[in-house]
Amino acid sequence: MSMLTTQVWSVLKAAIITLSLLATSSSFAASCCGGGNATSLVLPKFGKKILDISFDIEDYQGFWNQEGEYIKDPQGAELNQYRLNLGYGQRITKNWQASIILPYVWNDNQYSGISSQSHGFGDTNLSLWYEAFDRVTCVYQINSLADLKPSIYLGTSLTLPTGNSAYGESSANSFDITGRGFYRIDANMIIEKTVYPYTLMVQGSYGKYLARSINQEYGKAIEPYTKRLGDRKFISASIAYTFFLEDLDTLTLTTALADLREDAGRIDRNRDPQSEMKKQSVAITSSYATADLRFIYKASWSHAFQDDDRGKNFTATDIFTLGFSYAFN
Amino acid sequence: MRSIKLISLVITSWLLTACLEDLNPESKDLRSDSEKGPLYSDNFTAIDTLNNSISLSDELLSHDAVVLYFTMWCPLCDSHMSHIRRQLIDQYSNVRFLMVDYVSANVSQSRSSQRANGFDDLTLLVDNQQALLNIYSATMASVIVINDQNLILLNEDYKNGSRLIETLDNL
Repeated sequence: MSMLTTQVWSVLKAAIITLSLLATSSSFAASCCGGGNATSLVLPKFGKKILDISFDIEDYQGFWNQEGEYIKDPQGAELNQYRLNLGYGQRITKNWQASIILPYVWNDNQYSGISSQSHGFGDTNLSLWYEAFDRVTCVYQINSLADLKPSIYLGTSLTLPTGNSAYGESSANSFDITGRGFYRIDANMIIEKTVYPYTLMVQGSYGKYLARSINQEYGKAIEPYTKRLGDRKFISASIAYTFFLEDLDTLTLTTALADLREDAGRIDRNRDPQSEMKKQSVAITSSYATADLRFIYKASWSHAFQDDDRGKNFTATDIFTLGFSYAFN
Repeated sequence: MRSIKLISLVITSWLLTACLEDLNPESKDLRSDSEKGPLYSDNFTAIDTLNNSISLSDELLSHDAVVLYFTMWCPLCDSHMSHIRRQLIDQYSNVRFLMVDYVSANVSQSRSSQRANGFDDLTLLVDNQQALLNIYSATMASVIVINDQNLILLNEDYKNGSRLIETLDNL
């Protein structure tokens, strides 16, 4: 294989890995106040189709109260959520692609005085992405201003409330929740630049929940009311380092910092300050890609900072993810 | 083309078997006429975290109403209990506010959680057999209001507390 071909392969492979890491870097936490959220799935520039399967283990450690004070879970509590995410991405045109992620959720909650196991579908995520660049922008060295051009992805996603929420008959109590029960539309952006062996990426999204009527809670009919959750804001910055292995296999290590917030929602015409939340976390991901570019194996650990003022009104969790992607034409 | 058909089949199957009730939410009032009116609450007796015996009938002898709030020590529960303490307890001095811990195994563990979460000043019932949870079909963040006629005036999620306030204002 010529030197040029080798370099092209390396560029393409690293691009796949970088993009496959988006799935873990945008992982959000799930809980009794809102569980089962999926992740983004983005095809590399030259990719046509991709299947992505991942399994999350989310371990609840504690929470931040409304004043931002971190409080550990009660003694004897062991709260976990497991999620199997099935994703598929398809290129539509040269610069447009779409994807879907279907999660299945298992809740396993053990307190000292009560235990509960339940499972069900999570909320489904549909995404549409536009690539604001025509060629892969990864470079080995910067020789001109053009080499500084990053890859920019602009997208929108729709979250469908297919999980078991508090507002239907599928959940008898809070332990059964696997989805939030609201439609959400997000505007997403990813800016990524690779100068080997380093990759820098910034990802952000702004989501709006749609208001909905609620006439039952945990299967119990109640006086109807209207609820809308607050706007959701997510930003993540990451840096990655790629090791080139024998036979063109690669190993990429990524560290990401993430900040997730939701504004106060509304119940009927009244503000609901109790729904406002914040969570800050760090994620470490390793990804191994085979030389034929078909398989990528991923493992990641996302850790919420368990300190005061790193969150507000939300659960602090560790999320372990194992997954693999299969690219095909 | 074959893969698209396969993916479409998977997605269709998924959506057909997933929970669909939230995809088309309704505003129709599903309560029966009897559910719209207040239900009667039987008496109960429970132990609090200071090992005092608390009975509904005794509390209603000296108060206009009893409010029960069910906590599992989650962030939402914390914010609701803070709201009750900050906004309601002093405002409605003739109402007895009782928090209910239904996830701890015993008084000692419940007391420990109460202290760790900073709610020593509230009365916390230890519902380790989930008796109250079952009586009122409650869950996390359920709030119950029982007046001095033993009528259940409110039994639903706390939300932002506005319905609780409205109920207490109408006592």
